[in-house]
Amino acid sequence: MSAPRRLALALLWLVALLILATLVAPRLQLSGDLRKFMPAPQTAAQKLLIDELGEGPGSRLLLVGLAGSDAETLAAQSQSLRERLSTLPSFKLVANGAALGPEAIPPNLRPYRYLLSSRLDTQTLDANYLRAELDARVQDLGSPAAALIEPLLAADPTLETLALAEAWQPANAPQRLHGVWFDKAGREALLAIETHAAGFDPKGQQAAVDSINAAFADISRGTTTRMSLTGPGAFSVEIGNRTAREASMIGTLDSLVFVLLLWVAYRSWKAPLLGGLPLASAGLVGLGAVALAFDGVHGITVAFGFTLIGVVQDYPIHLFSHQRAGVSPWASARALWPTLATGVASTCIAYLTFLVSGVDGLQQLAVFTVVGLATAALATRFLLPALIDPAPRDAADSVWLGRCWERLARWPRLRGGAVLAIALLAAAVAALAPGSFWQNDLGRLTPVPPAALARDAQLRNELGAPDVRYVLVVQQPDVESALRASERLLPSLQQLRADGAISGYDLAARYLPSAVTQQARQARLPDRPALRAALDTAMADGPFQSDAFDEFVADVERAKNAPALLPRDLAGTPLSASVDGMLLQRGGHVTALVALSGLKDPAAIARVASSHGAQLLDLKQASESLVAQYRQRVLWALALASVLLTAAVWFALRSPRRVLRVLAPMALSTLLILALLRAVGVELNLFHLVSLILAAGLGLDYALFFDHAGDDRAEQLRTLHAVIVCSLTTLLVFALLAASSIPVLRAIGSTVALGVVCNFVLALLIVRAPVGGASDVA
Amino acid sequence: MLASMTPCAAAADGADAVDAAWILKGIARPVPASTPFVEVRASKLLKAPLRLSGQYVRPDADTLVREVRAPYVETTTLRAGEATIARAGQAPRKFALSRVPELAGFQGNFASLLDGDRAGLERHYTLSAQGSRQRWTLMMVPKDAAQAARLQSIALYGRGSELRCIETRTVGNAPPQRTLLAGAATDAAGVEAAPALEALCHGDATR
Repeated sequence: MSAPRRLALALLWLVALLILATLVAPRLQLSGDLRKFMPAPQTAAQKLLIDELGEGPGSRLLLVGLAGSDAETLAAQSQSLRERLSTLPSFKLVANGAALGPEAIPPNLRPYRYLLSSRLDTQTLDANYLRAELDARVQDLGSPAAALIEPLLAADPTLETLALAEAWQPANAPQRLHGVWFDKAGREALLAIETHAAGFDPKGQQAAVDSINAAFADISRGTTTRMSLTGPGAFSVEIGNRTAREASMIGTLDSLVFVLLLWVAYRSWKAPLLGGLPLASAGLVGLGAVALAFDGVHGITVAFGFTLIGVVQDYPIHLFSHQRAGVSPWASARALWPTLATGVASTCIAYLTFLVSGVDGLQQLAVFTVVGLATAALATRFLLPALIDPAPRDAADSVWLGRCWERLARWPRLRGGAVLAIALLAAAVAALAPGSFWQNDLGRLTPVPPAALARDAQLRNELGAPDVRYVLVVQQPDVESALRASERLLPSLQQLRADGAISGYDLAARYLPSAVTQQARQARLPDRPALRAALDTAMADGPFQSDAFDEFVADVERAKNAPALLPRDLAGTPLSASVDGMLLQRGGHVTALVALSGLKDPAAIARVASSHGAQLLDLKQASESLVAQYRQRVLWALALASVLLTAAVWFALRSPRRVLRVLAPMALSTLLILALLRAVGVELNLFHLVSLILAAGLGLDYALFFDHAGDDRAEQLRTLHAVIVCSLTTLLVFALLAASSIPVLRAIGSTVALGVVCNFVLALLIVRAPVGGASDVA
Repeated sequence: MLASMTPCAAAADGADAVDAAWILKGIARPVPASTPFVEVRASKLLKAPLRLSGQYVRPDADTLVREVRAPYVETTTLRAGEATIARAGQAPRKFALSRVPELAGFQGNFASLLDGDRAGLERHYTLSAQGSRQRWTLMMVPKDAAQAARLQSIALYGRGSELRCIETRTVGNAPPQRTLLAGAATDAAGVEAAPALEALCHGDATR
């Protein structure tokens, strides 16, 4: 085949990939929902975390501070920001301290103020009380508040509406200046914004953060106001973007490195293009398969998956290094195939174990990697030979490679005893190094800068925002019993606050009392004649018109006879956000949440809670236990995978000695990487684990190819050439990742880079046969 | 006084004509300052309008205090966008001025008035002056839409450098609320009839 024709075919392949990409892209719904990537929850806390909350009520909260202008401007901007954001569907609640006025209750529900307010629990609507209230109202009419109060008076001479609005303010709300929340110094206007999207939903949080930024840009135009935005969602967006930026920068550098290395190694600008095609095919076909087999592709599947299929970059390199004049590319591919196929098949068999893990995310990973690896291998075997230059320079003729090889030949060879000794030493270091072995806190992988954390703590403290880690829950079969149970908790919560164990709390029952409580209040309300009589006595000889409060009498009568207010009656009112968010109704049971702020003594709170049938959930602990459970599944899958992999290699090589020689470098490398990481104090996480799997896959290939090379000098040279190019590209790619500032990328990079070095050296020391000497098989 | 007014009226469009700048310059008072007031508030809930007397005190540039002495004792402090109402034997109550458009900026306005800060007033109101130096009216119409939805106008009445009455008209057909200040408040002692008080406010009554 002529060179232009080969190039045309390569471009055709590229075009086919682009078409595939356009087909796959719309089907690819990247989901950030961590729940899909986690094993099924078991404990109550895990269930709540996964099924109902995502994370705590605090995790949906974004905290906003506006500073840099005078207080009046900031207050006006706080108001405009609230008005702007409350109309958007992404936000459940936008609070800036502007009082929930009478407008919080729609007119048809206003009579319910007498059932919702606790003030009449200790006070009856008798003549004395009414007279005192009316005297105060006269003064109100003469005060600057007259305009505010006069419209309410006819129906509400005791100003129950205002008392209720006051009671609904957060318990330890910040001070109000110009009608909105400000910090203690009075320099920064504060807002608390609750999103509909869960804290772990990066797309939803991104949309929310974008809308806030856009609204702020609009309302602050022409002023010097600065906005700071903190909270779990804002952090996850910022860190996600930073990770994406850094990963894409490293990705670009990596591509350059890959292109340059292949170009130098094969003195052909086509090598990088051809070398990239199997990897690109693997990624696209793998994604396509996952998109077909599953509803949505998890973001972590893609991240882990692309890490794992990094090994396929090596396949074309082996073909390039073994191709030489006089041998058809097809023959080269055929000659390499048994070795390549052994590596691919055993790795695929190993990954198949993820299918039985019972975790959706891991199953996706299995499909992605198995399909990807198989695609790349088949492409290298059956498509690539048609495209490569049939008569390149033979790698075996390279002078420097020959010298390199001479030198390597003098390296000592590691025998069984030494291998075993190193393995034991590494295992001991890995097991005994101080510090904990596993890192369960996923948050530590994507750390928030300390300055941002401090800012968040400051805003959280100023706003009295709920704790992100702990939440109290009351589980009951229905709404009414959940509200009643919450009400029973109220005295203890007040006591805890008085004792300083918490600085505040919030729960649905604060806004909507149980039906029983409402009925008790109804029973205490006077009937129409009694109220009329009391009012007449109170108004006798007073300044008010005799019919001034007829609306009031009617409202109380309505309240006395109305059916109790239920959560569903609140639909569409500003109150429903507060009530629905704290009262989760799911499949046959109701969970009432009590958000806590300023937690000092979780143990004391847990004790008080359990004595009232409530439970203090530690969501951090729950998510960590889920991570641990997840890791356990991965480890079991890996144990099974290593057995299957050994069996597959055994089946291919059919000699216990060769099997041992091929498997020893990767097993020993794994132990060495573990020992090295542990020795420098690294706590291992899932990303290390996945990277170890990739490193083992690379090591298996190196060993298989060295084993395949046998004792023929030229063949050994070509294999050495291929493995040097493979390991150099991989090493450079992952060394760049290891230098990243982001722990996730660093974990992957350092593990794989170490793995490449260990596997390369150990494969040379253990597998390579001495040249021309008798085969070592004996 | 009547005698002195006649030539002024004759020369109204001459040197004696007033403009907002002249009025505001005249009524400016450095802090601390205070002035007696008489306020009349009507409400459809009340049999008769409420008549209050006391004094406005401006202890410092950021604060305005309204001390009611009769018929009851009450102190309202307007500061930083918030009103605090204190009554004997009760915990003080607070509310945001922004919730009452009629009051929003009231403290600021009053401060601007007493500082002679025309620019500050013109940010929120369109000003127009009428009359002579001996009997002038300064009309303030809100520019802000939220305020204009409820507040029609604030009219200031005065003589020379004396601000004598503030008349607030809300949107709708409620009667205007009048605050008589300084000399007018003193003159109002013993005056009960609404027309007489209105005349006092507008400076119609001459003694």
